[in-house]
Amino acid sequence: MPSASHGDVKLSDSISSSQSRALNQFLAGVELKAFKIAQAALRNEDDALDAVQDAMLQLARAYADKPAEEWKPLFYRILENRIRDMQRRRTVRGRVISWLPLRSNDEDEEPDPIGQAPSVEPQPPRRLEIAEAMGALERALQELPRRQQQVFMLRTLEGLDVAETAAAMGCSEGSVKTHYFRALQSLRAQLGEFWT
Amino acid sequence: MSRIEEQMPGELERRLKGLLEESVAHVDGRIRSRLNQARHAAIVEASRPRRPALLRPFVLMPTAGALAAAALVAFVLWPHSPQVEIPMTAEAGHSMEDLDLLADGDGLDLVSSEESDGSFFEWAADQTDTNETST
Repeated sequence: MPSASHGDVKLSDSISSSQSRALNQFLAGVELKAFKIAQAALRNEDDALDAVQDAMLQLARAYADKPAEEWKPLFYRILENRIRDMQRRRTVRGRVISWLPLRSNDEDEEPDPIGQAPSVEPQPPRRLEIAEAMGALERALQELPRRQQQVFMLRTLEGLDVAETAAAMGCSEGSVKTHYFRALQSLRAQLGEFWT
Repeated sequence: MSRIEEQMPGELERRLKGLLEESVAHVDGRIRSRLNQARHAAIVEASRPRRPALLRPFVLMPTAGALAAAALVAFVLWPHSPQVEIPMTAEAGHSMEDLDLLADGDGLDLVSSEESDGSFFEWAADQTDTNETST
């Protein structure tokens, strides 16, 4: 059985080594942005990591043999479905927990994006500035309707064009344009103090 | 370019994009490590030999279930023939004979005849008791 080495990963002959390399390259290119998109939607680092991991596995399992140009919309479509599933499950879990008489308050607290900053050392002013602006942006993003938030992240951060965004979201291109425009309007209204 | 795109606030868009990209660049090492592990797991998954779709167990299960349900429904709804022969048991045979006795006019004659004093029924009851004790 011919196999190729890919870092510490042994590749068998089910997909070619060049396809594996291409897939690895593709995933490496999208993983951080995908994490940020999932984090904006789920507001939790571990959930976002789980969603991205599931999307990677699903893409590799079902679509690795597709042309590489199709991977990006497919990957973000899978990620979006995964995020939606997790949000639904969280909603159900929230309802169940709300019925329980003794619940811990800190379970429902949403993570503070600034408080989650990784470094405990004094940060340089630039990083503080970014963290502050990012915190404001995350709060503003949380206020957006789900579809607007998704369109904004896919177009602005991932750089998908209108057609790719529509494919990833499973909606029309006109709908993508409308959601994006409304998202930018809302963000401008909410972030005015940071940008003037 | 559409009217909506022409109205987009380009400066805001540019600044938001820059901010998001900077936040991506500052993702911490723990997250990067876990994403790296997830990517490697996905590559291993992609390189795993796959069975043809029809041989995957969970692919056939819905089809088999649907077929079984359709067969059950067809069996229940199938117009069964009314001329089904019911096997005649010994008790069922006796019942049919009793029905004949009750239906014919001789029984009524026995009851309604003026000279009848019920001796026939006493005799019939004796016969029944005799038969039961002999068996």
